[in-house]
Amino acid sequence: MNIRFKLNGKETELQVKQDESLLEALRQAGAYSVKHGCETGECGACSVLLDGKLVPTCILLAPQADGHEIETVEGLSEVNTIHPIQKAFTENGAIQCGYCTPAMILATKALLNKEKYPTLEDAREALSSTICRCTGYVKPVEAILRAAAMLRGEEVAPIGGGGIPLELAFGLTGESDLGRDIPDVKSGGGGGTSVSVRPTVKVAPWVSPEAHTDVVGRPEIKVDAVKLVKGKPAFTDDINLPGMLYAAMLTSPHAHARIRNIDVSKARAFPGVHAVLTYKDVPRVMYASGGQSWPNPKPWDQVSLDSKVRYVGDRVAVLAAETPEIAREALKLIEVDYEVLPAVLDPREAGKPGAPVIHDEPDAIGIPDAQRNLVNTIDAAVGDVEKTLAECDYVFERTYYTPKQQQVHIEPHVCITYWDEDERLVVRTSTQVPFHVRRMLSPLIGLPVKRIRVIKPRIGGGFGGKQEMLIEDLAAHLTLATNRPVRFEYTREQEFTSARSRHPMYITFKAGVMKDGVLRALDMKVISDTGAFGQHSMTVASVSGLRGLSTYRCEALRFHAEIYYTNKTPAGAFRGYGAPQGMFGLESIVDEIAHELGFDPLEFRRKNAVRVGDPIPISTALGEGGAIEQVVLSCGLEECFDKAAAAIQWERRYDPKWHVDPERPHIRRGLGVATCMHGTAIPGLDMGGASVKMNDDGSFNVLVGATDLGTGSDTVIAQIVAETLGCALEDVIIYSSDTDMTPFDVGAYASSTTFISGGSAKKAAEEVRRQIMERAALMLKTTTEGMYLRNRHVYTADGRAVSLQDVALHSLHTEDQRQIMATASHMSNYAPPPFGAQFVEVEVDMETGMVRVPRMVMAVDCGTAINPVTASGQIEGGQLQALGMAISESVMYDQQGKVLTTRIGEYRIFEADEAPDIMAILVPTYEPSGPYGAKAVAEIPMDGVGPAVANAVFDATGVRVRELPILPEKVWKGLKELK
Amino acid sequence: MLPEFDLVMPENLQQALENLGQRNPGVVPVAGGTNLTVDMRSRRHTPATLVNIEHIQELTGILQEDDRIEIGSCVTIAEILKSPIIAAVAPALIEAARGFANPLIRNRATIGGNLADASPAADTAPSLLVHNAQVELWSKKNRRILPLDEFFVGVRKTVLQPDEIIKSVHVPKTNRPSASSFYKLGLRKADAISVASVAVYLEKKNGACGQVRIAMGSVAPKPLRAYAAEELLTGKHLSLKLIEEAAKLAAEASSPISDIRGSAEYRRRMVFVLTRRLLTHLAEMMELKDW
Repeated sequence: MNIRFKLNGKETELQVKQDESLLEALRQAGAYSVKHGCETGECGACSVLLDGKLVPTCILLAPQADGHEIETVEGLSEVNTIHPIQKAFTENGAIQCGYCTPAMILATKALLNKEKYPTLEDAREALSSTICRCTGYVKPVEAILRAAAMLRGEEVAPIGGGGIPLELAFGLTGESDLGRDIPDVKSGGGGGTSVSVRPTVKVAPWVSPEAHTDVVGRPEIKVDAVKLVKGKPAFTDDINLPGMLYAAMLTSPHAHARIRNIDVSKARAFPGVHAVLTYKDVPRVMYASGGQSWPNPKPWDQVSLDSKVRYVGDRVAVLAAETPEIAREALKLIEVDYEVLPAVLDPREAGKPGAPVIHDEPDAIGIPDAQRNLVNTIDAAVGDVEKTLAECDYVFERTYYTPKQQQVHIEPHVCITYWDEDERLVVRTSTQVPFHVRRMLSPLIGLPVKRIRVIKPRIGGGFGGKQEMLIEDLAAHLTLATNRPVRFEYTREQEFTSARSRHPMYITFKAGVMKDGVLRALDMKVISDTGAFGQHSMTVASVSGLRGLSTYRCEALRFHAEIYYTNKTPAGAFRGYGAPQGMFGLESIVDEIAHELGFDPLEFRRKNAVRVGDPIPISTALGEGGAIEQVVLSCGLEECFDKAAAAIQWERRYDPKWHVDPERPHIRRGLGVATCMHGTAIPGLDMGGASVKMNDDGSFNVLVGATDLGTGSDTVIAQIVAETLGCALEDVIIYSSDTDMTPFDVGAYASSTTFISGGSAKKAAEEVRRQIMERAALMLKTTTEGMYLRNRHVYTADGRAVSLQDVALHSLHTEDQRQIMATASHMSNYAPPPFGAQFVEVEVDMETGMVRVPRMVMAVDCGTAINPVTASGQIEGGQLQALGMAISESVMYDQQGKVLTTRIGEYRIFEADEAPDIMAILVPTYEPSGPYGAKAVAEIPMDGVGPAVANAVFDATGVRVRELPILPEKVWKGLKELK
Repeated sequence: MLPEFDLVMPENLQQALENLGQRNPGVVPVAGGTNLTVDMRSRRHTPATLVNIEHIQELTGILQEDDRIEIGSCVTIAEILKSPIIAAVAPALIEAARGFANPLIRNRATIGGNLADASPAADTAPSLLVHNAQVELWSKKNRRILPLDEFFVGVRKTVLQPDEIIKSVHVPKTNRPSASSFYKLGLRKADAISVASVAVYLEKKNGACGQVRIAMGSVAPKPLRAYAAEELLTGKHLSLKLIEEAAKLAAEASSPISDIRGSAEYRRRMVFVLTRRLLTHLAEMMELKDW
C-alpha cells in the first residue's frame, strides 16, 4: 500500500508493505539516521519525532504513519550548517560511537520544544528513552543543558567546559622518542622472580610548569563527531547495494543435540530464496572465532556449520533471500530432526564423570581433555605459596562469583559481503578486528587473503563483543553461493542467544597476612565457564590471574585456572577481559581482611599496593605474548586515592549519623572502595602500523589499521600526529581500518590503541617531520640542527620560518621532487599499568534489599590523557557498564539451557534517569613508554565498581555479598541471616 | 520481519466494530502496538487481521462526568501522566504511569492496551483496581460495563470477547477525603517488569479509616485485590500493629511464582513490606495514624 507523510517537512509518498515496521520503511526511504537496536521499543535507537512526539519506529507499523509528520536528524541541518543541539553534543564530547546520537538529539529536541529551561532532572528524564552503552549519560546530559542555553541565546563555556579542568591539558614538548626512557627489556625466563629486585628506573618527572603541547592533552572535538551528530550514513548497514540479499539464521532450540537429518528442500524451493546452507554445504574447517593474533590460541573447536548443536542459539542453517520477510518465512520451512542429548550448564559439574561430552568430534584441535569438557588449565607461581601461607599470622579463604554479562552494544553484529569488480570479496563489517577477520576468514571460505578486503566503517559499540569473527563467515559463504551481495544482521534476541558474553567465573582467594596488615601471599583459583566454545577462554582466564595478582606486593603468588565447556552461549571478549572477575575477588577479600583485622580499607590498600619501581612478577609467569618481566614505571595511585576519597567524602564512613536517614528509616548508607590496576596492550605481541603522507596544502593523510569503535581513537591518533607535525587537528585527515588501504593493526582490544597504534602514528609522524625538516633545510639553505615544527611552520634555530604548505609545494613540485611520507609500526615489550581508585556510595533499603547507587567517583592515572574529554568519557561510561554487572545485569538461563533474558528491558541496562552521579578524575603521570606519556584508559573503569559496591553494601548493612549482580533478594537474604 | 497480516484502517468506531464482528477470531485491534508488535514478531501472536484503532475519536480523550471520569482506551500513558483530571481523582494511577516503561513507550502505549494485554505485571492495573475502576466493553451487538476485578481471568486472559474492544475505563469520583498511592519494586527504576507492585486507596471517615482498597501486581496469575486485608482495616483506627496485620493478610492473599525476577518467598514478603509502607504513608498523609 502507499502511505503519504511529511518527512522533515517534505511531502513523501512511500510504497510499504502492511507488515513492515516504520523503521524498515524509513531506512528504505534513505533516513539512515534511524537505527536498528532492538525490536521491542526498548533501546530507543530507532526514535523519530512523530507529530512532535518521540516514538520508537521498530514497533510502529509503517501504515500507522500515514498522514502524519515525521522528523529525523537529517532534517536539522544542511551541508556546512549545524543545529545548536548538534553543536552542543559535539562540543561537549557527548558522542562516543554515535549510533544512538540521532535519537538523543531528537529526545533533546522534543524536550527543548516544550521546556526552555530544563533542569538536570528534565534532561535525565528525556534521555531515559535512549539506551547508551558508551557514555554513562554524563556528557549527553550536560550537552542537553548546554544546548538549552545556546538556544536561549546565552553565552556558553568554551569547549571542554564539561567538568574537565583545563589544567589537565598538558604534555611535554620536544623529542620524546618512544622507548627513550625504558631500561633494557629482558625476554624469556621463568617464574619465581624475587620481589627484592628494584631496577633503577629513570621515571619521567611529572609535568613541569613550563612544559606544554599544542594539540595533545587538549579536549579536541572528535574528528568523526560532526558526521555522527548529523546522522550521516556512516555505519555498516547504511548502504543499499543493487541486488542485495538478506540473510537469516536458523538456531538450535536445544542446548545439546545431534542433527540426525536436515531437510532444506522446501526452503530452497520457496520463491525469493537464493541459497540455503547447512553443514552439508560448507567445508569443515576447524577454527577459533576469537579475533586474536596468529596463530589463534587453541582450542580450535568450531566449524562454520556443524551437524551437532551445543547451545540454544547455536548455528543450524543460514539462508539468503530477496527480502528479510522471505528469509524469515523460509527459515520456518527447514525441517530438522534432532537427537536431543543431555546438557550440562554448570562449569563445576561439567568436569565430573558422567557429564555429557560437548566436544566429542574427533577433529577438534587442541582441547586438552575433551572427555572432561576441560578446555584448558593454567598454572603459574611466584615464590613458595604453601610455605609463606604457613608463616602468616592469618589466612583467609573466600569464594566469589561473577555473572555472564552481555556487551549489548546498541548496534548488533552486522556485515555486508559482496564481490567487487575485480572479483575480490569485500566484507563491510562492524568489527574491532578487521585484519584478524581477513586472515581468519580466508581458510573457512577457501579464498586467499589477497582476495579479501575487510572494511570497518563507523561501528555502534563493541566492548569486546566484536573482537570476534562472529558472522562474517556465514555472510561470505552466502555471497560465494549466490554471487550476490548479502547483508546479515543479528536480531537483539540473537545478540543474547548467539553472540558472546563475559566469562562467568568462580574465584577463590586464599590470602596470607601478618598482624601488622602486611599481605604476604595470595593463592588464587578460578573456574571459568566458556560456554559451548573455547575462544578467548585461555587468555581471559590468564588475565584474571594477572590482574588478581598484580595490585599488591606479595612475596608468594599462585594461580590455578580450570576452564570448562558448558551448553551455554559461548563467552568471549568483554571490556576488562577477565580483570573484572579477578578484581572482584581480590578487592572483596582485601576488604574482608581489612575489616577482620580492624584496618581502614583504604589504608590497608595503600599499605600493600605496588608503587613506582616495583616489578610485577606474576606477569613473567602469565604473559600472553611470552614471559616478559614488567615493572611499574609510572604510578599515580596515591594521588588517585587522595583525590577520589576527597570527592566522595570518605570520612563520612566514620560518621554513624551519616549512615542513617531520619526521613527514611529503612535506608542505610555506605561507602566502598576498590583499587584498580590494569594493563596496556599485550606486551611483545600487539602491533599497529601507521602511514602519514603530506599534501599540497600542508595537510596530512593518516592511514591507520587501528579500529575506532566509538572510543575516539581516530581522534587521539590524529592529535598525536598533529602535535608531532606542528599542525592543527583539522589539518589531519585520518582514515582507518581498511585492509586494502591501511597498514596492519591487531585491532581495538587490550586497551592498546592509544599506546600501540598511537605509538606507530607518532613514529611515522616523526619520520615525516624529519623529511620536512630536511626539505626546509634545503629551501632555507641551512641544516636541520635546532629546527622545530609549530603553528604550521618549520622554524630554524636562527628564527627563520617556512610554512608547511610551502614545504609541501616545494617537495611535490619544485626541486628534487618527492612525496613526503612515512610508514611505521610499533609494538612494546612493556605493558604499563594504568591505576585507578574507585569509590561508590550506596543506599540500601533494609526491608527490600534494594541497592541504589547515588554516586560513583573514579580517579584514574592513565599517564597523559591525549584527549581529556574522550578519556573521561571512557571512565564515565565504563563505570556505568561496570555498575550494570554489579547490581543488575546477568544473562539468565532456564534449566533446559534456554536464555530467559532476550530483551533489553528484561536484561536491565541502566537508563539516564537512574544512573548515578558519575565522576571521572584524571590524575596525570608521564609514562615513558607511551606516546606523549600516555597509557591505557579504556578497560580499567570496568574493574573497581563491582567490588566497591559490594564493599559499600557491607559498610551500609553488614551483609557481605560475594556473588554479582547484587540483586535485592540477595541482600534481603543476607539481612535475614544477620538477624 | 512481522508475520503477514491484513491491516484495516477504520475511520470510526462503528467501522472498527464491524471489522471485529465480521472476521473474528483472527481479528485484533491495534493502537500503540507496544506489546502486540513485539508478540507478533516473536510469533506469540499471529493475528490474520489488525484493526488500527489508535485515532478513533470515541476512544481518545479523558472525559469528566459528575460521578466519574472516563479514560478512552486509546489514551496513552504519557497523556495520563500529564492529566490534571486524573491526578485529582486517581493519584496512584499517575504514580503507576510515572514508572511505566520509558518515555518513548509511554508516548505509544495505551491504557486499553495495557489492560487487554492482561500481564500479571500490568502497571496500571493495581491502581485502577483500588480506585474501583470499571471497563466499558463494546461490540457490534452489545455494550457492557463491568468491574475491572472481573475483567482479568488469568495470565494474559480476560473476559474480552473476540468481537469486543475496551471502549473506555471508568474511574469513580468521591467527595469523601481520600488518597491513593502505588509502589513498584522493580530490579531497576522503570522499564523493568516488576518483582511486585502494590496500590492502596484509603478514605477517611470520622477520624478513622473508611473504605480501603489494596491491590497487587506480579504476585499472582492476575492483578488482584487483598479483600481480607481491606476488611480488617475498614472502620478502624490505624495503629502500626493493625497495619502490619493487614500487610500480612495481603501477603497471604498473594500467590507469586519464582522466576528470574525473584523467588516466591521474596515476592510474598515484598507484598507485606510494600503494603505496610503504603498504608503507613497514606495514614500519615491523611492524619489517620494512631501511633
